[in-house]
Amino acid sequence: MIADPGRPLARSLYLHIPFCDTRCPYCDFAIHIGGDHLHQPYVEAVIRELDWLADSRRPQLGLETVYLGGGTPGLLALPLLEQLLAAVEQRFGIAEGAEVTIEANPSGLTEELARSWLALGINRVSLGVQSLDDRALRWLGRNHDSATAEAALRAAAAAGLENLSCDLIYAIPEQPTSVFASGLRRLLSYQPPHVSCYELTVEPSTALARWVTSGRVLGPKEQDFVEQHRLARELLEEAGLLQYEVSNYARPGSESRHNLAYWQGRHYLAAGCGAHGFIDREAAEGLGFSLSPEDVGVRYWNLRNAATYIKQVTVRGHGRRGHEALDHEQRRLELLACGLRLRAGVELSEPRQLVEADRLAHLGLVTIAGNRVAATPRGIEVLDRVTLELAAS
Amino acid sequence: MVDASQGIEAQTLANVYKALELGLAILPVVNKIDLPQAEPELVREEIARVIGIPAERSILASARTGEGVDRILEAVVTALPAPVGDPEAPLRALIFDCKYDAYRGVVVYVRVMDGRLRSGTQIRMMASQGTFTVDEVGIFRPAMAAVEELTAGEVGYLIASIRNVRDSKVGDTITEVARPTKEPLPGYRQVSPMVWAGLFPVDGDDYQGLKEALDRLQLNDAALTFEPETSAALGFGFRCGFLGLLHMEIVQERLEREFQLNLITTAPSVAYQVTLRNGSSVEIDNPDQLPEVGMIETIAEPRVKLEIVVPREHLGGIMELCQERRGEFVQLEYQPPGERALLTYDLPLGEIIHDFYDQLKSRSRGYASMDYQLTGYRAEQLVKLDVLVAGNKVDALSIIVHRQQASNQGRKLVQRLREVIPRQLFEVAIQAAIGGKVIARETVPALRKDVIAKCYGGDISRKRKLLEKQREGKQRMKRVGSVEIPQEAFMAVLSLDR
Repeated sequence: MIADPGRPLARSLYLHIPFCDTRCPYCDFAIHIGGDHLHQPYVEAVIRELDWLADSRRPQLGLETVYLGGGTPGLLALPLLEQLLAAVEQRFGIAEGAEVTIEANPSGLTEELARSWLALGINRVSLGVQSLDDRALRWLGRNHDSATAEAALRAAAAAGLENLSCDLIYAIPEQPTSVFASGLRRLLSYQPPHVSCYELTVEPSTALARWVTSGRVLGPKEQDFVEQHRLARELLEEAGLLQYEVSNYARPGSESRHNLAYWQGRHYLAAGCGAHGFIDREAAEGLGFSLSPEDVGVRYWNLRNAATYIKQVTVRGHGRRGHEALDHEQRRLELLACGLRLRAGVELSEPRQLVEADRLAHLGLVTIAGNRVAATPRGIEVLDRVTLELAAS
Repeated sequence: MVDASQGIEAQTLANVYKALELGLAILPVVNKIDLPQAEPELVREEIARVIGIPAERSILASARTGEGVDRILEAVVTALPAPVGDPEAPLRALIFDCKYDAYRGVVVYVRVMDGRLRSGTQIRMMASQGTFTVDEVGIFRPAMAAVEELTAGEVGYLIASIRNVRDSKVGDTITEVARPTKEPLPGYRQVSPMVWAGLFPVDGDDYQGLKEALDRLQLNDAALTFEPETSAALGFGFRCGFLGLLHMEIVQERLEREFQLNLITTAPSVAYQVTLRNGSSVEIDNPDQLPEVGMIETIAEPRVKLEIVVPREHLGGIMELCQERRGEFVQLEYQPPGERALLTYDLPLGEIIHDFYDQLKSRSRGYASMDYQLTGYRAEQLVKLDVLVAGNKVDALSIIVHRQQASNQGRKLVQRLREVIPRQLFEVAIQAAIGGKVIARETVPALRKDVIAKCYGGDISRKRKLLEKQREGKQRMKRVGSVEIPQEAFMAVLSLDR
């Protein structure tokens, strides 16, 4: 059994802001294109949902992480952001030294805007750079070019925003590994303390999926994945950014505390369309979920469509679309699957799992220290299978 | 019973000849006359020509619409002889089937030849020697309906608190304890299995459950035999004997559906007669039991007389199939002249059980039909083909093949296995070998990439559900050594394209 690191209270909050200028062909997130007129009613709906969440009648200790994800929350006008964060502060309290992140696109990120965000208490920006190669950016259907991205990187630095994370996509079809490598090197010259480096995935019912099925474009290649994943790791670690999670690299101390909460199996509240939350048993009961005695927590998720979400929140106070109660076994499986994604690995205590881990160690896929099992670089490349082997033993 | 759209099939013909040999009355029925492509009159004429029953005596019917059913029932009364038997003679009842009822025990299906059977009768099973008191007798209409008495000439059931399925054997004779008959009925000829395969539970804990399920099936399936088998690769299971491939599939299907067992079935085999250099001989029904090559003088395999009825336009393809399967041509007749061919081949049974029927159907667009009878054994140049996975011999994958086909079969088998064995965390070599000499090799490359390197947001449920699904799939595989082998790999030899 893995020790349960979940604390009695959720100390993290995810807020989903769905607005985007365009939909990128590979994206399958809950987003909303155009319609600035929805911004105000949407933020009000999210605040109403915060009321509902705060209603779990629990003493609040203050949030340690707040994450504004999207969509493109960077598109929200400053007064709306201010209103939203004030509501969060008022209902939950934001702890001293908390990590407050906003996701933003390079287009429109000026030094002035970055300063204003800092002034609002937003101390971390996750920037959707995706690539510094113009051909790749066009292929990805992004509405910015590499010059815009680099301007945004300079603006963030000039504003004194230290805690910057950059998203980077690899295994883009038709992009040679050498081009990916030079883009990454150029990105590293800006010395970001955090990089999220993830592969292009073809998600069902996206434009990309249709193009791949119809043969209009080639899908990502396994060969490119392996090559570029290895190369990224090599270059990033050389620059002092350690792979602390399958797709995330950071200078020690600059890891995303919010994302770590997901992987470490901690609880987190969520509001906004398409958002996913995870709350403990007591909080779930406070919110009126009915549970059976063996359930240890509840995962819930919201309606994906922004307009429908606003409507439901107006009527029912929350935008929930579904939930599932987790029993002990499901919780255990999640802790295993998520924990193995981390550099630190997971503690195993079941003898059968330890025997299996030993076999995997002989194959060079994991290392074992005491009862702690962590994936090796080679193990990370086949981590889903490694997880399955441990989960099924 | 002849299908109005298909005409007489090989099995129908074989059964008619058996019935004629036994002097039974024959009542032909042409069924499915409601089908658009039905040609009832042509089929009637075919019956007249081939079997010699005047066309007008064949009843035209459709089980689907009910047309003609009344005429069939009427003909059963007028055209078939009434049962003979003496209700006053000592009881003799033939057990022709039975089923197990969780509440009432074994329900015995009987045909009363002589005497009477009623509630309270003390009965004895003449072969198994068990004695019981009858609780209830009844008839089928078609649900079970209790009656006062079953008497000579009647068919029905009896319930007598029989708990042990082995006490009621199909073919046994029931008599009365107080006034027993001297002579039991001849019963049924014991049919012997012709095809064997290993059945292993995927989960070793299901072994006992599999044993009980086989016991239960054997209750009304005397042709099914089984005995414990141990495989180095698959663990504990049973070597089961079947009448043929269809029988094997039915048993497998029932075990999985009615008893919820998750099974691995090994490729079917026939029984070989092996003569050893020291003069003794053994019969083996499992390729893995074949003695050392150096000890073997000859290996003889069973052969059959195979009869195929096939429309003329598909004759060429079917003859080709028979040749490929080491068949020897016996004869060819057209019946009726110029339309359908009755083709006879002398062929090794082992060739028929490997995908022959499906090939027959696919090469005749479904129109050919077949029937076969065991004719004897013949020594051939046979060898055992072993399969090694990651260097370990997998006993359950061994097959016996003709020497001339061995390298071709070995090559195809390892190719097929490479397709069905999923990529593992390490490279896996698959080799085919004869007597320790490797004749074919394929490699399943190691898994290169299997991770979603993506930010999920907080949607952990999706990840967990995927993992749960994969775990379920994994439980359907068998780990042999360190390699996960899926169930279908053990049947791979059946789907080799020759």
